[in-house]
Amino acid sequence: MSHASKRLRYVLKRLLQAFPIVLAIVVVNFFLLHMAEGDAVDVLAGEAGSATPEYMAELRKKFGLDQPLPVQLLVYLKNVFTFDLGYSFRHEMPVLDLVLDRFIPTLLLMISTIILAVGVGIVLGLLAASGLNTWRDTMISVFALVTYATPLFWVGLMFIVIFSLNLGWFPTSGMKNVAAFNDPWSWANIKDVAHHLVLPTITLSLFYLALYTRLMRASMLEQAGMDYVTTARAKGLTERRIMFVHVLRNALLPVVTMAGVQVGALIGGSVIVESVFAWPGLGMLAFEALFARDLNLLLGIFLLSALLVVAVNLIVDIIYSSLDPRIEVG
Amino acid sequence: MIKKWISSAVVAATSILGTTFAQAEKEGGTLVMIVQPEPPSLASFVSTSGPIGLMAPKIYEGLLDYDKDLKAVPALAKSWDVSEDGKTVTFNLNKGVKWHDGEPFTSADVQFSIMNVLSKVHPRGPNSFKEVTSIDTPDDHTAVFNLANPAPYMMRALSAYESPMVPKHLLEGQDIKSSDIANKPVGTGPFKFVEWKKGQYIRLDKNEDYWKEGLPYLDRIVGRFIPDASTRTAAMENGEVHYGAYGAIPNVDVVRLRELDSIGVTTDGYAMINPVSLIEFNTTVEPFNNPAIRKAISLTLDRQFLIDNIWFGYGKPATSALSSSYSATGLYAEGMPNYPGRPNVEAANKLLDEAGFKPDADGVRAKATLDLIPYGEDWRRTGEYMKQALGDVGIELDLRYEDVPSWLKRVYADYDFGMNVNYFYQLPDPVLGVHRHYSSDQIRQGTHFVNSSRYKNPKLDGLMADASKEPDAKKRSAAYKEIQEILADDMPVVNLHEMKFLTVFNSKLKGHELSGLGAYGSFERTWFDE
Repeated sequence: MSHASKRLRYVLKRLLQAFPIVLAIVVVNFFLLHMAEGDAVDVLAGEAGSATPEYMAELRKKFGLDQPLPVQLLVYLKNVFTFDLGYSFRHEMPVLDLVLDRFIPTLLLMISTIILAVGVGIVLGLLAASGLNTWRDTMISVFALVTYATPLFWVGLMFIVIFSLNLGWFPTSGMKNVAAFNDPWSWANIKDVAHHLVLPTITLSLFYLALYTRLMRASMLEQAGMDYVTTARAKGLTERRIMFVHVLRNALLPVVTMAGVQVGALIGGSVIVESVFAWPGLGMLAFEALFARDLNLLLGIFLLSALLVVAVNLIVDIIYSSLDPRIEVG
Repeated sequence: MIKKWISSAVVAATSILGTTFAQAEKEGGTLVMIVQPEPPSLASFVSTSGPIGLMAPKIYEGLLDYDKDLKAVPALAKSWDVSEDGKTVTFNLNKGVKWHDGEPFTSADVQFSIMNVLSKVHPRGPNSFKEVTSIDTPDDHTAVFNLANPAPYMMRALSAYESPMVPKHLLEGQDIKSSDIANKPVGTGPFKFVEWKKGQYIRLDKNEDYWKEGLPYLDRIVGRFIPDASTRTAAMENGEVHYGAYGAIPNVDVVRLRELDSIGVTTDGYAMINPVSLIEFNTTVEPFNNPAIRKAISLTLDRQFLIDNIWFGYGKPATSALSSSYSATGLYAEGMPNYPGRPNVEAANKLLDEAGFKPDADGVRAKATLDLIPYGEDWRRTGEYMKQALGDVGIELDLRYEDVPSWLKRVYADYDFGMNVNYFYQLPDPVLGVHRHYSSDQIRQGTHFVNSSRYKNPKLDGLMADASKEPDAKKRSAAYKEIQEILADDMPVVNLHEMKFLTVFNSKLKGHELSGLGAYGSFERTWFDE
């Protein structure tokens, strides 16, 4: 069997395996969410200041909340199979539209953060490991420790104070200048969004950066003690070649694993950054949905996150086999 | 000599002209205001939720508006007339008013808005318009309200925020609560709805065909959602947003921002809302079924301390069941008992002793759980202060702070509480804002912000029913004095302080304070001086 068709078979197998996992996630989430006190009607009526019991009963009927729980679950599952994620009664919009609308800002923030954190983390880890126990190593390790230990919201606020208020380099918050109303695909708009993306990305990256730096450093040191390094050295290869061709490639494996795991965490972990910088992402939407007991919306976000994690893990496994040909898929 | 006079006259004239020129309103500009949290919809005819109130009154209009002294001024109705017996109210509507989709606004819209929408699905509408039996429309520009009884309070509930006029041609025959215009409003107001970018902003553009000549001044209003309070402060300081009301900028930051030349702060614009913080007691359970402990709590608390230390000096100690801002309409009564200027721990201890709340070995007379409205840190700190203060008279409190749905369900659906810190809008008339707290027909399980104390007093019920129909101002004041005396003596609810919300604005922004509704106003005369 050719390598390519083997890989395709592997992908299909993994997708089939993902199916029961996602289903289980949906069911568990459904029951977990329904354990919370109060429902969407309580919140809507509470915000309105006052409402009659008849009005609330009518709302519950409209939302389908008067049905027994198993019936609600079946209805939901049936809808999910037809790619209908339901309706958010709070936003008066289909869940799918809401989620997709917020998915792009999330993706922007996530991708830029991963690139920055993994990229800079690898470089810093490499620099630290290659200059073991020198001032360079110490500086980088202290930097990693400090950024890892600093609360994200504080970093975000400090960045706003320094770079927005004092220096005036970047806007404090939002995804674009709301008073400008640029055409979405115009150059001005892309520049505007990029300008707004800088502070949230750096803030969110700092935490993960520290993680990758430390991981990369440890992984490089571990690989440097391996037999193949001794062999390479015996063959008379330069230290530079050993480091960049042999050690680096192997040392990257744990970093890639970590990055894969953290894509899922990034969706949730960005709530704080989204909140501080008013970035219109999924994390914030999920957070608000929780407090509004907008369960359809929450379930939709969870489902999307679950799918994303499954997909990313699959991609990571495939990257594995490219990095280290000894690892075979199948 | 004469020359000198002339030149000084010229100087004076120029300076007068100069100031008039400086004060002349300029057209154009985009106002960015903080709207927080993001509203659930823009259907102000279904929900009175705060963030909806910030945006919707720019789009919809009411029959009347209210100036800074809460005097009714013309809006969609150019004049109105209340009959001798108070049972017929005639509104003459402005001509040439058009909905944003181009259809003409007529008396049929008024009839539909009041009878089919507001008195059916609005949270407070059924109460505001309970006496309206029918509305006649003799012609397109006249609406005649026929009332079963006089309803003086109704005339204070006709603003764009409280009772918006909605388009009959778009709502008729639809399910009003889930109609298309809930998220895409079509009104007659100075600004038109353009776009709602979820999680980011709502955009309104100038209504070029607005029926008031030359208005509005602004080109655009954008309502921005910024979840984090510190970021809101930074955005205000940076000039990215120009206006934030209803505590959008927390008091702790206002204390710093108000020193800046570029920023203004005002407590005006909340008189129509009239917010009062308070403690609701569950009058059906131990120990709060005994009025003595409720009164003792009122006597012990240092209201000024709360205001100075938790609300940064913004507020006024409560002195009665009615807010002192009702003194403008003569309904507020001074000198009520059990609302001391300074805390009176001695009197509280005496009351508790007499009522049989004896201290045990640890000095504890009673134990209870205090629920706190989950609307932010200020309320949590209020609870912490109360725990300490009431501990001094032997009332031991546990604090409970939940999320909004759990808290609402506990207090208003399950009645599973002892005492609850909350705040109520008293609104411009007690019938609209205060009766719901005490009247026994307002014990409505599952309905929020009504009589959760389950307090029943037939005498009080009768007095309130009479007071709501009383057209004579003097007799009405007398009735409310008696009501306040009963409530000060029984205290099913203890008022804490008359809250002063803060509006923080960019100094370049002018004319945003002209309406009695403040941030809930139309902003048609708001402009930028730059």
